[in-house]
Amino acid sequence: MVTWDFSALSPYKSIILHGIGETALVSVLSFALACVLGLIAYLGCANHLRPVRVISSIYVEVIRNIPMLVVLFFIYFGLGEKGLNFSPFWAAVAALAINNGAYLAEIFRAGFQAVPSGLHEAASALGLGPFQTFRHVTFMPGIRNIIPAATNQFIMLMLFSSVASTVAFPDLTYELQRINSATLRTFEVFTVGAALYYVLSTAIALAAGLLSRRMYRW
Amino acid sequence: MSIFHYTDSLLRAAVMTLKLCAFGAVAGTAWGLVVGLLRASSFRPLRWLAALYTSVLRGVPILIVLLFTYYGLPLAMPNLRFSAYICGAIGLTLFVGAYVAEAVRGGLESVPTGQTEAAQALGLSNFQRLRLVMLPQAVRVIVPPWIGILLALVKETSLVSVVGLVELTRAGRVVGQESNNTLAAFALVALVYFVICWPIGQFGRWYEHRLAASGLRTVHEPAVSNLLGEDAEVPTGGAA
Repeated sequence: MVTWDFSALSPYKSIILHGIGETALVSVLSFALACVLGLIAYLGCANHLRPVRVISSIYVEVIRNIPMLVVLFFIYFGLGEKGLNFSPFWAAVAALAINNGAYLAEIFRAGFQAVPSGLHEAASALGLGPFQTFRHVTFMPGIRNIIPAATNQFIMLMLFSSVASTVAFPDLTYELQRINSATLRTFEVFTVGAALYYVLSTAIALAAGLLSRRMYRW
Repeated sequence: MSIFHYTDSLLRAAVMTLKLCAFGAVAGTAWGLVVGLLRASSFRPLRWLAALYTSVLRGVPILIVLLFTYYGLPLAMPNLRFSAYICGAIGLTLFVGAYVAEAVRGGLESVPTGQTEAAQALGLSNFQRLRLVMLPQAVRVIVPPWIGILLALVKETSLVSVVGLVELTRAGRVVGQESNNTLAAFALVALVYFVICWPIGQFGRWYEHRLAASGLRTVHEPAVSNLLGEDAEVPTGGAA
């Protein structure tokens, strides 16, 4: 039977912390970009111009039906081969943003559609302009429906950022694999890793809960 | 050399991906059903254990689970031989099981309590109540999130390439290197994934449409609650 010895990991504390930092950085940055992309795709799918609608729907449909790893390899290895070189960091950010943007577009659609159409009629009766209508009638009430699903998506994105380790981006998973091969303490290494990811995702869920509780007060 | 020269190896790899999907879907669903039913058990420690399991597996990356099974299983059971395929399939099963368990719990909770009371009044045993009353009614609600889980599973099989199994994504990488056309290789690989996933997604849409027509709403009220959104929407596609 294997004996557990977590002390073997103590020399690697700073490496692990560094990995957590990189995971956090890549997750936050790509989620911000994914939100922008998702909003554009959502608005594109509802656009009155047919070509815009078609392109947006193709983006959403294609990305939702292929693995993120393929998108990442396409960008990192595929475009790299054609001379368009991305660093592992930017390749990971791009792949995560492109992938999650498609899911967020659906989340935005579901959330904004849940706003009753009576509100839109009321807005036009009150003489609100298109921008005012979007801001006060579509966006603000819609965002309420969206926060929980978007939080889930952010947690998923953070967990999936571990895939960036496959292109040698030094995130938490990458460092764990390195420590594993250096110490051969497989159970300890991946137990600590799983616990850290679990803490990260729980922290995001709790933070979002607090945030939405504050926002629900309007 | 043209990319189409490698169609055979890509097809063989696609078969491997489908095998992983089939294993993960069957074993994962069975395991998820067990865990989901344990969450409804009247024995508290079992309920806690099942809740802990789903919560942890849903809160860690699938890649960590796969690395765990790949490096861990041979260490834990040194006298058994584990291929990359088996390690990957077990990792996927454990992961899928957690999501299916969540869907099963949601489905069971959607059955009105009056049904449970009626079953008890009729003198059905716990097992009979589950089999004859609860599950048949829960299934309709379980199917939509289950399809979402299957879609995510197809995409998650790509991660088994990380532990060295030659499935579709890995084959795409190899073919790309050999043909000097990585871009085309991954475009082709993406097309195969799309061809597998798209019909599943369409079926899901059709089914939800039918459910909605029968008056059953399956879109869960999204809500951030205690750890990891216990009641939050079951992600219908994941981020794989």
